[in-house]
Amino acid sequence: MRRQIHRLMVGITGLVTAGALAACGGGGAAVGSVSKDLDGAKFAIGAKDFSEQSILAEITAQLLRAHGAEAEVKEIKGSVNTRKALESGELSMYWEYTGTAWITYLQQTTPIPDAEQQYAEVAAQDLEKNGIKWFAPADFNNTYAISVSREKAEELGVSKLSDLAALEASKPEEMTFCIESEFSIRDDGFPGMTKAYGIEPANENIRMLDTGLIYTEVDKAESCIFGEAFATDGRIAALDLVVLEDDKNFFPIYEGAVTMKQETLDANPKLESILAPLAEKLDTVTMQSLNAQVDVDGEDPADVAEEWLTKVGLLS
Amino acid sequence: MTAETLAAAYPVAQRRGLRAIPMRLWATPLLVTAAVLALIAYVSAQDLDSMEQRVLGPGFVVDRVIEHLQLAVLATAIIVAIAVPLGVALTRPATRWLTPVALLLANMGQATPALGILVLLALTLGIGFKIALIALVVSAILPVLRNTIVGLQQVDATLVEAARGMGMSSRQILRQVEMPLAVPVILAGLRTAVVNAVGVATVATFVNAGGLGQIIVAGVKLQRTPVLLVGGVLTAAIALALDWLAGLVEEFARPRGL
Repeated sequence: MRRQIHRLMVGITGLVTAGALAACGGGGAAVGSVSKDLDGAKFAIGAKDFSEQSILAEITAQLLRAHGAEAEVKEIKGSVNTRKALESGELSMYWEYTGTAWITYLQQTTPIPDAEQQYAEVAAQDLEKNGIKWFAPADFNNTYAISVSREKAEELGVSKLSDLAALEASKPEEMTFCIESEFSIRDDGFPGMTKAYGIEPANENIRMLDTGLIYTEVDKAESCIFGEAFATDGRIAALDLVVLEDDKNFFPIYEGAVTMKQETLDANPKLESILAPLAEKLDTVTMQSLNAQVDVDGEDPADVAEEWLTKVGLLS
Repeated sequence: MTAETLAAAYPVAQRRGLRAIPMRLWATPLLVTAAVLALIAYVSAQDLDSMEQRVLGPGFVVDRVIEHLQLAVLATAIIVAIAVPLGVALTRPATRWLTPVALLLANMGQATPALGILVLLALTLGIGFKIALIALVVSAILPVLRNTIVGLQQVDATLVEAARGMGMSSRQILRQVEMPLAVPVILAGLRTAVVNAVGVATVATFVNAGGLGQIIVAGVKLQRTPVLLVGGVLTAAIALALDWLAGLVEEFARPRGL
């Protein structure tokens, strides 16, 4: 009897949720049922404050709903706050990047160049020290990159980071960079990059900006010719920016993976097999195009997520 | 800072000399110095990693402090240069009807998040020190403008009447009666504006205008407590120090007998 009431309550909540979502213009519908493996389970999926995170969180939430769970997406400002929310139990899970966890939560300074080793180290240390479980990583790399407008790239003849040394010798006045403060001090950011590629841009040629402003400034090519970028950002394609090839493999690899407390997984052991297909099907190109649909075409992350899940056949 | 405390403190200071300097005149410098010294001691005792060393190098920190001071002090100077004449103009009989409009605009400037103003300006006008300065002026002008208007309005109408009866011109009344009586209120607004400006200047880092925001943002994003502490404590120290300086100005610019 009690069980039936519980079922009923879940059903009602589900209906209300579906109604509320439909009222929001169909955002994040996908109540289609694949299995009942997670019946009665409730999850809060975290998203940091940028589009890729919203899309990943929506994809995860909709897939969990399709398996019978209740799942809501919570947007949180900044990596650190998102991680704190996971540790405090406010969030059940979210997508984190290996490089971020290594530098920020595990307080390391030198990244490991090999993606697999980096993932293995992060996963092992985070589980041991903090009880955070890392699911298998997806093959997309949201690493740092240096972007430049297509016209400037052609005019200056640069296509890879090692071209910058020659440019510095011939046209030092063109070596202007827009970067944000975090990138400017990270070992795996600007200081390391300039050292690895043997360039020394003058301090007055480095402009410190917010990430959101950098793409447009690089596109204008007035205050700076080169700018920091995130490799999977949709604005790279939208503004027709060129990403300089990291031909010395300096930038570490930032693979995304679902993270959650080990106890959350212990309570719902099927999560791992349900979410596994996501990591297998997401790669850098897919992520760029999904991000562009949100950042450039102005689509709702929930719709983009549902469309993709349907396309790869995870909702049926 | 109320008029009563000043009135109470001043004659005492005159009678007993230096020993009776009111506490609020020496307490702030003492507190600020102590805080900065404690900060230096704390940071020196830390085992800093390579990223922390990069942001907490003495040269780097001093440059950021100088940028921060430049932003806050220049913004305050511009605010005074705009808001005081504007406040005077808005209390003249012919333009009085414009006062609500001006105050509404200034209120909007204060209520809109400074970061929003900054990013809008950056997207339309470009980036740099000047842009940050404009954003600072817009966000911190309200207290000075409002206090100039209120300060002039609260002048006893009978005094103005009496001055006019004595044959003073409107300009003389403004200079010799209204302004002296409004100065304490205007200066109180100035102190609020200075402290506002120091706080808001932390977002200047997002448009290449530097300041201590650069250190704070790095500390937050990388979760490095010493970095965050240095940025935060120094910003607070600057706010307190400038407020104290403005307090001194208040003390000495206040007309005798008030």
